Amino acid sequence: MSSMLLEYSLIFMVISFIPCLYRVIKGPTIPDRVVALDAMTTIIVVMLGIYSYDQESVFFMDVALVLAIISFVGTVTISKYLDEGVVF
Amino acid sequence: MKRYFAYSAILALVWCFVHGTVSINNFIVGLIIAPFVIRPFKTLYPFNLDFSFSNAVKKIPAQIKYLYVLVVEIIKANIMVAKIVLQPKIDIKPGIIAVPIDSKTDIGITAIANTITLTPGTLTIDVSEDRQVLYVHAIDATDPEGVAQSIKDDLEKYTMEAFE
Amino acid sequence: MILDILSNIVLVIGLFFVFLAMLGLARLPDVYNRLHATTKIGTLGAFGVMLSILLKVGFSAMGVKALTVALFILVTSPVAAHMISRAAHRHGVGLCKESVIDEYGKACDAACPVPKEDTIQE
Repeated sequence: MSSMLLEYSLIFMVISFIPCLYRVIKGPTIPDRVVALDAMTTIIVVMLGIYSYDQESVFFMDVALVLAIISFVGTVTISKYLDEGVVF
Repeated sequence: MKRYFAYSAILALVWCFVHGTVSINNFIVGLIIAPFVIRPFKTLYPFNLDFSFSNAVKKIPAQIKYLYVLVVEIIKANIMVAKIVLQPKIDIKPGIIAVPIDSKTDIGITAIANTITLTPGTLTIDVSEDRQVLYVHAIDATDPEGVAQSIKDDLEKYTMEAFE
Repeated sequence: MILDILSNIVLVIGLFFVFLAMLGLARLPDVYNRLHATTKIGTLGAFGVMLSILLKVGFSAMGVKALTVALFILVTSPVAAHMISRAAHRHGVGLCKESVIDEYGKACDAACPVPKEDTIQE
């Protein structure tokens, strides 16, 4: 029962990509797209966590942690670039 | 020297969590490596503050109380925003309002700003130059004084006890 | 057994909240309201999923790493939301037309009375 639930949860997460992709493509301004990309990394982190439990391998959890860190740093960098025109 | 040890302990704990096994050997390895990480990035750490272990220990009950308040507020916030999202027709009156705060230190202002973002209907945008006013985006901004009053009464009391 | 059922319930609640966050991202009218949705609901959704993994495997290497990811998301997502919203406001993204008050815009205009570019509205 549990592994069936995990499979369906992965499918459900893929379905939640659709509103994000809509916002990335249509989004009227650049900050909209940044917010949507940030949300997409959240979904990917969740998917990697579920997949890591499904495959009983701890390495996918490392990937999830690194992806969370990179997403945060990337968002802050793009925001600073939009705000001041320079990154550093 | 004492501050080096305190920051090293924090970084060693983080290293234990990232490595995945919390054990005394791992903690000692982190404690040995940490000063080499702190030294090149010395400007990022507040070395000019007075630091004492007894003060840090004394604040722990207030921080546990703050965590309890934070969890309750996060669950309330989620139910509120979920209701707004699931409405058939979205009917909101958002706006940006100015909220005066009493916190003075960097850690206090950071804590109150992050807490405001995670609690119902409000999102911190900026802090003013003189650090007196936070600009907060609220989903329901028809009553600005009420929002400011609720932030002061419900949240800032606990963060000031826990982090200042 | 009870722990298993509890973790499955937490997992379903977390997945549902992540889906709600993405629905809010598509439905709400401007950047600031969308940030409300992704920051609050997305954070609790990811936290719930990671908590359910921790309940399933206990404090093994995977469980501790799941807890680390959850705490990291809880700490960093408000900071990212603050940076994006401030950059959006200074970039000239206006509020949606239902908005009733904008004291930050007034304060910015008082501080630097430069004629702004046309604000982009949906």
